[in-house]
Amino acid sequence: MISKKIVLTGCFGVGKTSLFNRFLYQKFSEKYLSTIGVKVDKKVVEIDGRKISLLIWDVAGEVAQEKVPQSYYLGASAVIYVFDLTRPSTYLNMQSDLDYLGKMLKSVTLKVVGNKVDLVTAEQIGMVEAELPHPADCLTSAKTGENVETLFLSIGKELLG
Amino acid sequence: MDERLLMNKLREILLAEDREELQHLKKTLDDPQLLSQKISPILEERLQFFKENFPVEFRLAVEDIIDKKLESSREELLEIIYPALGQMIKKYIQHQFQLLKESIEEQIRNTFQVGIIGRIRYALFGVKPQKMAEDILQKLDGPVVEEIFIIEHHSGILLGSASRQETMDLDMVAGMLTAIKAFVEDAFRRGSEKLESVQYGTFSIHLENFSSYYIAAAISGSVSAKERSELSDSLAKFAESELRINLKKRDGSSHYEIKRRLEKYFFKTSTSLPAGKLKTETL
Repeated sequence: MISKKIVLTGCFGVGKTSLFNRFLYQKFSEKYLSTIGVKVDKKVVEIDGRKISLLIWDVAGEVAQEKVPQSYYLGASAVIYVFDLTRPSTYLNMQSDLDYLGKMLKSVTLKVVGNKVDLVTAEQIGMVEAELPHPADCLTSAKTGENVETLFLSIGKELLG
Repeated sequence: MDERLLMNKLREILLAEDREELQHLKKTLDDPQLLSQKISPILEERLQFFKENFPVEFRLAVEDIIDKKLESSREELLEIIYPALGQMIKKYIQHQFQLLKESIEEQIRNTFQVGIIGRIRYALFGVKPQKMAEDILQKLDGPVVEEIFIIEHHSGILLGSASRQETMDLDMVAGMLTAIKAFVEDAFRRGSEKLESVQYGTFSIHLENFSSYYIAAAISGSVSAKERSELSDSLAKFAESELRINLKKRDGSSHYEIKRRLEKYFFKTSTSLPAGKLKTETL
């Protein structure tokens, strides 16, 4: 079975660990516990009859990507850049963060994900999208599970090629 | 003049001074601030005396209380100190054992060196002195390789592994080990230096770095510097002779092939390892 490393990154408090827990264990907690360092876990998924082992690295949130140890990204096949739809400060540095990631990681699947979609209205989403320096690939809610499975499966599909 | 009035007058004359003092005293007692000004120096003085003389005055009483408490809560006390104490003793014994082992090894080597005694032994037993020393050393109780992982650098993807017993998810172990390694190497920024081992209690993980992957060997028991170096050689030899295959076949078949080779090399046979190497046979 093929194994691929996926890195979850973004500002602190955007819901990376919640997305991680929702996808891996189908659970959600309102309690906020800041991630220290990095947490690694895996999930085997089957896509179009083919199995793939997704090794997910949930990296501690930082205000800028330069602050995340580079070694966490190395060897990654995909990076999920998560921002919080309710906190503009979490997507203010998006362009520079994405430029930095793009420069460091050539030919990786990069997904920009707006989390906490359950907390915003359609109108607010429109306003946030207008402000984004880079369009979001997916809007998720770790709380309700909306689009979480879809996100990881779509990445798995791309990685299987 | 009325007798009562006279008495009152007399009282006023006699008690005027006392009454005034009483009034002042009452005022002091009623006013917390005034009272505090009066009492604080006395209290401080007593407190100072108490601090200075506590061991002398109360030592016996405190000792008595502690003795009684220890006697009545012996079980709880043991419960609290035992784990820490046990661990300390264990570590101390392990360290002493390691020193002893190294000294025995040295002594055996010296004893069996080629010389007059060595030649006599060779004549008597027909065994070369150095071979005899190696045989004895090999029989000494040594550390045991419990698990071996071949892990891709950076991604932490497990390329192959072999283990004596069932452990937690091996992919997760490989991932977390890589994350810890990355964290340490990044946090301390010691140039190109790599994390070489992780130790906890009597268990240690030896890490050997190669170009695109590293090998992590989990070892139980104390490992001397010599054994560590032998293990390094062993892992390098294994990598050179057994890992010259495509380590990342898309169908995952390389995983099974690596496992088979690891088991054969480290767990099933000891003959493939030079004498004096870590015990690799099944326990």
